[in-house]
Amino acid sequence: MPTVKLYANLRKLAGTKELSITGPTLGAVVNVLVRQNPALDGVVLENGQIRPHVVITVNGHNAVDLDASVTEQDVIAIFPPIAGG
Amino acid sequence: MNGWNGKILEIDLTTQSHKSYPLDMEMARQFIGGRGLGTRLLWDMVGPEVDPLSPENVLIFTNGPLTGTGYQTSNRFSVTTKSPLTGTVLDANSGGFWGMQFKRTGYDVMIVRGKAEKPVWIEIKNGDVTFHDASELWGMRVFALTEKLGQDNNKRNVLCIGPAGENLSRMAAIMNDRERAAARGGPGAVMGSKNLKAIVVEGRERPVIEDKERFKFMLYETRKLLAASPLTSQALPEFGTVVLMNIMNNIGALATRNHQQTQFEGAEAISGEELTEKYLVKNAACWACPIGCTRISKTEKVEGEGPEFESTWAFGAQCGIDDLPAIIEANMLCNDLGLDTISVGSTIACAMELSEKGFMDSDLRFGRADQLAPVIEAIAARKDIGSDLADGSLRLATKYNHPELSMSAKGMEMPAYDPRGLQGQGLLYATSNRGGCHMRGNMVGLEVLGLPKLIDRFQVQGKSSFVILNQNSNAAIDSLVVCKFTNMGVADEYFARVLSAVTGIQYATTDMIKVGERVWNLERLYNNREGFTAKDDTLPPRLLTEAPVDGPSKGWVSNLEPMLKEYYRTRGWDENGVPTQKKLIELGLAELV
Amino acid sequence: MIDPRIYEMFREIGEDLYSAQMISSHGGNLSIRLGDRVIIKRRGAQLGRLKPHDLIETRLDKNDSGVALASTELLVHRTVYMNTPALAICHCHPRTAVAFSLSRDELVPIDNEASYLLKKIPVVTEEFASGTPQMANKVAEALKNYKIIMLRGHGSFATGQTLDEAFHWSSTLEESCQIELATKVINEPFIEYRGMSGSYTKF
Repeated sequence: MPTVKLYANLRKLAGTKELSITGPTLGAVVNVLVRQNPALDGVVLENGQIRPHVVITVNGHNAVDLDASVTEQDVIAIFPPIAGG
Repeated sequence: MNGWNGKILEIDLTTQSHKSYPLDMEMARQFIGGRGLGTRLLWDMVGPEVDPLSPENVLIFTNGPLTGTGYQTSNRFSVTTKSPLTGTVLDANSGGFWGMQFKRTGYDVMIVRGKAEKPVWIEIKNGDVTFHDASELWGMRVFALTEKLGQDNNKRNVLCIGPAGENLSRMAAIMNDRERAAARGGPGAVMGSKNLKAIVVEGRERPVIEDKERFKFMLYETRKLLAASPLTSQALPEFGTVVLMNIMNNIGALATRNHQQTQFEGAEAISGEELTEKYLVKNAACWACPIGCTRISKTEKVEGEGPEFESTWAFGAQCGIDDLPAIIEANMLCNDLGLDTISVGSTIACAMELSEKGFMDSDLRFGRADQLAPVIEAIAARKDIGSDLADGSLRLATKYNHPELSMSAKGMEMPAYDPRGLQGQGLLYATSNRGGCHMRGNMVGLEVLGLPKLIDRFQVQGKSSFVILNQNSNAAIDSLVVCKFTNMGVADEYFARVLSAVTGIQYATTDMIKVGERVWNLERLYNNREGFTAKDDTLPPRLLTEAPVDGPSKGWVSNLEPMLKEYYRTRGWDENGVPTQKKLIELGLAELV
Repeated sequence: MIDPRIYEMFREIGEDLYSAQMISSHGGNLSIRLGDRVIIKRRGAQLGRLKPHDLIETRLDKNDSGVALASTELLVHRTVYMNTPALAICHCHPRTAVAFSLSRDELVPIDNEASYLLKKIPVVTEEFASGTPQMANKVAEALKNYKIIMLRGHGSFATGQTLDEAFHWSSTLEESCQIELATKVINEPFIEYRGMSGSYTKF
């Protein structure tokens, strides 16, 4: 199952840093994540789309397409809106 | 024209005298204030014959028309000088309270020339200037000195150097309000070379605002925008800037062990999440700032401001150290001694690599958290191993015959973002007028965070136009002067409008960006006059030839050459990186050369 | 050869513009600036059905190969790029906004989103046809201080750092105008919910 890693305040909201979630596509995995952790609704997804400024990477590459397929070995990282410098 | 006080204060330390004269308002209109105005004044005052640490160099403190107006983050000031670290034009700016208080003394600009015979400190109360003997203060550290001279945030503000500046470390910062720093490029050493220990300001003048109604409207809209942006209302206050650690590591762009790797296995241990959970006491804010990104952290040994992302990275990933308390302590030690954390951390990392490879005889090793504090003390005191490190990584690595191991551009140590994973960021470092720096422009927003929208971080074609816009916009913001973090919630068009409301001069958004372009080109002319050429617009060979062997940036080097060519053309410069006559005429700079 | 990622960006936004009814089959235009070059839709190509060969790349400051095929509006886009910091332009014909532009000198949103993002959209009049220097100068001048403007009776020009951003302003404008149109149908007294909205006309 793909590994999902959460960062910043998402950890508090979901009560964990890391989970394994099955799904054929990135969108499916994120949807299951939000269904299992309702506190993330409106934080990660907004009207079924990735919320503006939320950054999702798959194996360290910015993901823009929720329809992209994911495999067992993939690591999905989800960051809430963050900034700094 | 309002917003500006319209006055320059010039201090001659050699004769311990001062005078005041009107600010050229046409110059102010063209360069606004802060970095822009400072650069324009430096152009006339300090030529290539001047050694940065000689009495002939000057320190130009500037505020801007927005400073002290109460507009969000209008607390900052700028210090412009010739850099003792890089030999380039240098502008370093800092937040806190001092900039606002300086504006209240009734001046827009303070030029400090010459060299005092014995250590002095200067007190400016409203318009009056007093020179005080600082013999007994010489050697004092920043925190104790700031308190001794009567720091009182809203009333009386202290700016000073620590032992590092006195000992002319080319990485010495000018500190203000205890823990804010105009750090990069060694302005503290210039102050030290002048035997000037501190400048204390107290003032009562309030800036006059031309169109109060429109100003009020912009203040209101800005407040709304900063509150609505999850970046400025949540991310920065809750986690501070260190929240970037995990994401930079995740994408394989976190420079590690002197840029030998692009991912650090200890990133999580030094992350913003970890800092918040275990060491954060509360957050704090500069004057008139609703964001409040400052961390107040506490370990068993210390409590104080910081650390920021870059400092945490410099002592952390760059030195291979995952001991967060040791990093917090190293950061505070640098603040107390008056040192630039980015350059110090990266110079220690350079020494670690030189030592591990047997090029330098020392016991410094990656991962040794216990070595941080003693080395930092030695740098500030310029003794033992510190005498080798005090002048930055390029001079250090050159001394040991391996200049290529200095992770610097134009001699300034680069910050955390590894250009192999962020192509645009590499172009930024290579073209930055003060050397390897993320404050002359920053592509992390566009290339990683999707601010305002995501662009491909490995794409090369077209990158120059994003970089140029970023550089011009930042140069304008540095001239207002406001904090760049407001720009995450508030677009440039708001700054142009608030500038128009305050000054009464109508700046279209494009006019304001044009000021930034003018500043950028003048900085370039300055560096060219100092002998810098296109050859200096480069990166350490490691970043151009050694691709990471694993991680998401695997196989990538910085593809600088084509980006640089496109950059020159897009800037309107010739192939040697010299602004063309056409461009200079367009920007009103032609009569300067 | 145009980078497939760039083509993909044009294709997606072109498709969205058409399906949102913000352009007719052959109307509207998109372009981006890449350094000293411009990529723009080919003359006659349909934005809603873009193919890779429908994009033309040319120099910003003068013509080179392929320019004969470029859109007639190339001059407008170039003039905007040379006079503003824009890196992308979205030109479309949002119907409701066009309708409002026929009776107003500026569009001042009443909905939350556009109030927040746009504040005010100036309407400029130009009798000369699309693609003339007169029109190009007028549009570029207006875009110096606003990220989106309306050309009376014609359509909108929006700028951004990316196409996505320029499209964002365009769709926000049209949504705002549709909401205002709906309030005219409902025809009930407006309840002000925003602070300082009276100042929007001064933005």
